[in-house]
Amino acid sequence: MGRTLLDLLRYNRQFAAGAVLLLVVIGFACLSFFSPYAPNDAYVTAPDLPPDWTYPMGTTSRGQDLFWLLSFAIRNTLLFGLAVALFSRLLALLIGLVAGYSGGLVDRALMSLNDTFIVIPLFPILVLFYFVMRDRMSWGLLALMMACLGWAYDARLIRSVAMSLRHREFTETAIFSGMSTRQILVEEHLPYVLPIVFSTTMNNINWSIGLEVTLSVLGFTDINTPTIGVLIYWANQHTALVSGIWWWIFFPVLLVVMTFIGLFLLAVSMNEYIDPRSRLGRRAP
Amino acid sequence: MTGPVLAVAGLRAYYRTSAFGVRREVRAVDDVSLSVEPNEIYGLAGESSSGKTTLIKTIANAFQPPLQVLAGSVVFDFAGKRFDIHSLAARELAAIRWKHLSYIMQGSMNVLNPVRRVRQSFIDFAFRHIGGPLPEFLDLARKHLQRLHLEPQILDAYPHQLSGGMRQRVTIALATVCQPQFIIADEPTTALDVVVQKGVLAMIHEVQRALGSSILFVTHDMAVHANLSDRLGIMYAGRLVEEGRTADLFRNPRHPYTAHLIASLPQLGDSAPKQGLAGAPPNLADPPEGCRFHPRCPRASDICRREVPFLQGASGHRVACFHATAESVA
Repeated sequence: MGRTLLDLLRYNRQFAAGAVLLLVVIGFACLSFFSPYAPNDAYVTAPDLPPDWTYPMGTTSRGQDLFWLLSFAIRNTLLFGLAVALFSRLLALLIGLVAGYSGGLVDRALMSLNDTFIVIPLFPILVLFYFVMRDRMSWGLLALMMACLGWAYDARLIRSVAMSLRHREFTETAIFSGMSTRQILVEEHLPYVLPIVFSTTMNNINWSIGLEVTLSVLGFTDINTPTIGVLIYWANQHTALVSGIWWWIFFPVLLVVMTFIGLFLLAVSMNEYIDPRSRLGRRAP
Repeated sequence: MTGPVLAVAGLRAYYRTSAFGVRREVRAVDDVSLSVEPNEIYGLAGESSSGKTTLIKTIANAFQPPLQVLAGSVVFDFAGKRFDIHSLAARELAAIRWKHLSYIMQGSMNVLNPVRRVRQSFIDFAFRHIGGPLPEFLDLARKHLQRLHLEPQILDAYPHQLSGGMRQRVTIALATVCQPQFIIADEPTTALDVVVQKGVLAMIHEVQRALGSSILFVTHDMAVHANLSDRLGIMYAGRLVEEGRTADLFRNPRHPYTAHLIASLPQLGDSAPKQGLAGAPPNLADPPEGCRFHPRCPRASDICRREVPFLQGASGHRVACFHATAESVA
């Protein structure tokens, strides 16, 4: 594992670039643990100061040090994306593998549920969810909601792979040798679909962060928990761009763009680690 | 020695589908009876779609709907214990599989999971049946691989790193590592070139002799049967049409279909053009009345169109034909 990662870093530029970008972002998020301010402190510094040595990213119109505030925001955003991705991956794997392997009535029932989720328009539902929840809206609830909406495409993808695996000789041999359905799914089929899952995990994190930012910018989330979107929301509320406080918008956007590109590059290059065939192809000089 | 290891009696297995209101019944295996003695290689031959794979799937009880067994029994005899394979519970079935009965599937090159190391396939498929400490099992597997002239390091390889012949040998190793008394092999050498094929066949023979097990060996390649099988059964359109010792069968084929099969084999010094058999195997969803071979048979007469011939004959050379040639007198 460690060796492979080193190899990937050395020989795969996409992976190296993605890893560096993500490490910077994650490192920055970790700084939040050393912040001198609580995340919701306001009016603790002079407002509207441009970036300089004391305040490397300037201060906001609400008198917050943007550097430390942003470290909280990116941490929450990353955790949000991760939570959505993990939970929706679990759903997608479970439903995709079971539907593809079982076939028949189970498959039909699960896939009609799946297709229902595919055709549901996400954005109006999430806005509606906000209006229903209002003050009870929280970070975790939103993550749960988005995970429940975000598994359907990938479940279909995994199902299609599982269907083809179902009829391979090694599956038949596994059945013949008396492995249970659970063992076959977990031990024989899961390693096969993992590259797809890894790749879609990255994309799913991107998707959920993007949607969260969109909702927050419009004010449809819990605006008291700093996330990248919430930061931009407050910047807009204080008409930051009009009054020339460009850094209040620029740094959050820069960070989220770095996250996106980093995750995308990792998703693309991750396959090389997971799939033994392309891994060996790469090793050969 | 005691009785046969495997006794199949009156086995009837049909594919039954009912989709969009259309019922179809494909009679892939119809009234097949055969037995396999201990320490014997029983060859099963026949052209494609003659029901060979279906027959052994039902024998191994490794089939799913729409294939159904309608009649007949498949009884194994392992160390004096009788196992009627279609009436066993799932757990009993799992207990005899691999340890007593193993199955080399058709397309045996693909039996190994492409994303798992060979070692994992050994553990997943075979270790569960042997049990005991894992290092001991891996030692056993290494020794067994060596017996098949494979490097023990192969355990750490992925299947795509091996050649087709190596993969087939690994599959054979996997099927024989638990030293089963009965091995079902479904065209284990079909995709190989003749040189590798010869090696693999020799290996199967070697392992069979070393373990003293019986093999039910299926292939459409008569030349392979001539080299390997002790006894041979010829299938046509879901029925066994002739059965006997391989040498007898090749010297004196009594069924016209067998005669054609053997006549089609190339022989050294024979430059006469080979005659093909006109027509195609029947559609098993709608097989012809009477003997299923009669539309293509040069000896067909009235009775062949009306009645089904039964497999009969003395001294182990049985044939299902009304116009069978006489048994050779040894």
